[in-house]
Amino acid sequence: MIDVKLNDAEKRMLQGEDGLVPQLTMQWLVEMCQVAGTDTIIDLDGTGDFHTPWTTMTFHHEISLDELKKLTAAGGVFKIPTFSNKSPFTEMSPIHGWEGCDMCSRSHGNGRFDDCDFHEKSMHEEFYVEFRKMGMLQTHSCASYLTASYLPTIGQHCSWNESSAIPYCNAVLGARSNIDGSFATCFLGKAPYYDMHVTENRLATVLVETERLIHTDTEWDLLGFAIGEDCGLAVPAITGTAKPTTTQFCKMNAGMNTGGSIRMYHIPGSTPEAPTLDAAFGGKKPQRTALIGENVLRATYEKLNFHTSDDVDMVYLGCPHLNAVDMMLLARKLEGKKVKIPLWIMTAPWLYNVAKEQGYLKIFEDAGAKLMDGTCMAAMGGVPDYVHNIAVDSAKQSYYITGCYPDDDNRLQVCYGTQDDCVDAALSGKWRGEFKSVGGAF
Amino acid sequence: MSKIRIYGRAEWPGIVEAEALVSPKPLEGFTNVDSEKGYTTERNHPLFKVPYTGKVLVYPSPRGSGGFMGYARGAVPAAFLHTEGNGLSIAAAATAQIPSMTDFDVDPCSVIETGDWVLVNADEGFVEITKKD
Repeated sequence: MIDVKLNDAEKRMLQGEDGLVPQLTMQWLVEMCQVAGTDTIIDLDGTGDFHTPWTTMTFHHEISLDELKKLTAAGGVFKIPTFSNKSPFTEMSPIHGWEGCDMCSRSHGNGRFDDCDFHEKSMHEEFYVEFRKMGMLQTHSCASYLTASYLPTIGQHCSWNESSAIPYCNAVLGARSNIDGSFATCFLGKAPYYDMHVTENRLATVLVETERLIHTDTEWDLLGFAIGEDCGLAVPAITGTAKPTTTQFCKMNAGMNTGGSIRMYHIPGSTPEAPTLDAAFGGKKPQRTALIGENVLRATYEKLNFHTSDDVDMVYLGCPHLNAVDMMLLARKLEGKKVKIPLWIMTAPWLYNVAKEQGYLKIFEDAGAKLMDGTCMAAMGGVPDYVHNIAVDSAKQSYYITGCYPDDDNRLQVCYGTQDDCVDAALSGKWRGEFKSVGGAF
Repeated sequence: MSKIRIYGRAEWPGIVEAEALVSPKPLEGFTNVDSEKGYTTERNHPLFKVPYTGKVLVYPSPRGSGGFMGYARGAVPAAFLHTEGNGLSIAAAATAQIPSMTDFDVDPCSVIETGDWVLVNADEGFVEITKKD
């Protein structure tokens, strides 16, 4: 295996001279460098996030709660601003809005998300007491960058861990991260130096073209999934779109990392490392062109729909977690209306009180909808027992939720379409969404 | 019986021999893998509910969420061989701690077929394939 280059301080940590936690985290880091095929460690100057309360990403070199307590008692802190990803593992209960959700935890025996004791235990507060002492900001969101109030800047090296967030870091912000955010990287402020940390790996290799102008939320969502399927691990330069909104960036990023594994892309004129198409490719020619034409968009739409019935039992919105503007716009659509079937709306925990103060929570509740945060249907491991057909407006949620139901006897159906289609389904119990050809209002 | 040898980079060391299971499509984890039963649960996937436990799992690349490491826990394969990778496949190799290789001189997905007998020698950086027929 590769001999990883270490400075004196790193060698000391690895030999255990600075204590057990520095030793375990350095062992993990060296191992990850070897697996990644790099002999270099990079010092991070950006931000980090990881799946809490796990103290290791790979289930080896784990740090016990006792060791964590000793570390914080001795003044141990995270070396970079560190945020928590989704609701605590492994239960992944909603942080707010869990009461009355009428749902079993399929992965935890007889546990119920609406049970007070189950909820309290699933928060794993014993770990967060220590993490907060170390400086963790408990954002508990797949889109923690939306509420972090502190973002890495162009060129800063980060260590994040959420597939849909990685391209936000790399492509949208111009910071640099692989999917390796963990206790170790945040505690040490170090990560293996490979892939997205390296300038030449960030250049585009595939030119993406479209036939229609991509400009609606659903078009961005579909485009993301389709690019993911077509480009795999490549870095695409995307043309044929309007300027994306924040919501559209988030939707495309989630779709890309469901259809494929796109951690970096360029939209010339919109993303910081591509002032021009030529700059996106570093002055080189594209290796190939990928046309995401009408037939591809239609096929993607059909793939994301997985239902034979138009009778819908439940609607889920909020993948990735809705931002404040999303909630404002959704509140407009629901004000004065009454849902016929359950409608769950998922946001980031730090926006729950914003929704309350802005009056959106009351509008949602008056409409019979439920605002929750910090998790999602797939993360919760399934849907409530009464649901056999769910409507969503997210390629990611559509594609992951059925994985919870692979057997013929409990197959889950999914209706996928626009947010308006989903709201209509919530109000009527019927699915009326369909693919809109060019010129149609999507 | 013809044998083919290809050379690559070891992500995790070790030597193992087993039958190959080749995924023509990138694999996805999180809810789309059942770690206990050892198969993908992704709808429309060519390996939907095809057990990989104890097999040399050959795939082009990882995709999807960090839950890709679901392939690396529970009823794990005998080894991972993949054409290209990123943080997802790296985390999977480090989690499973089974022989894992990538960056080959010849694409393993083009020379290995499901049912071939495969010797993975990650200690010395090669894979030897015995074709099934």
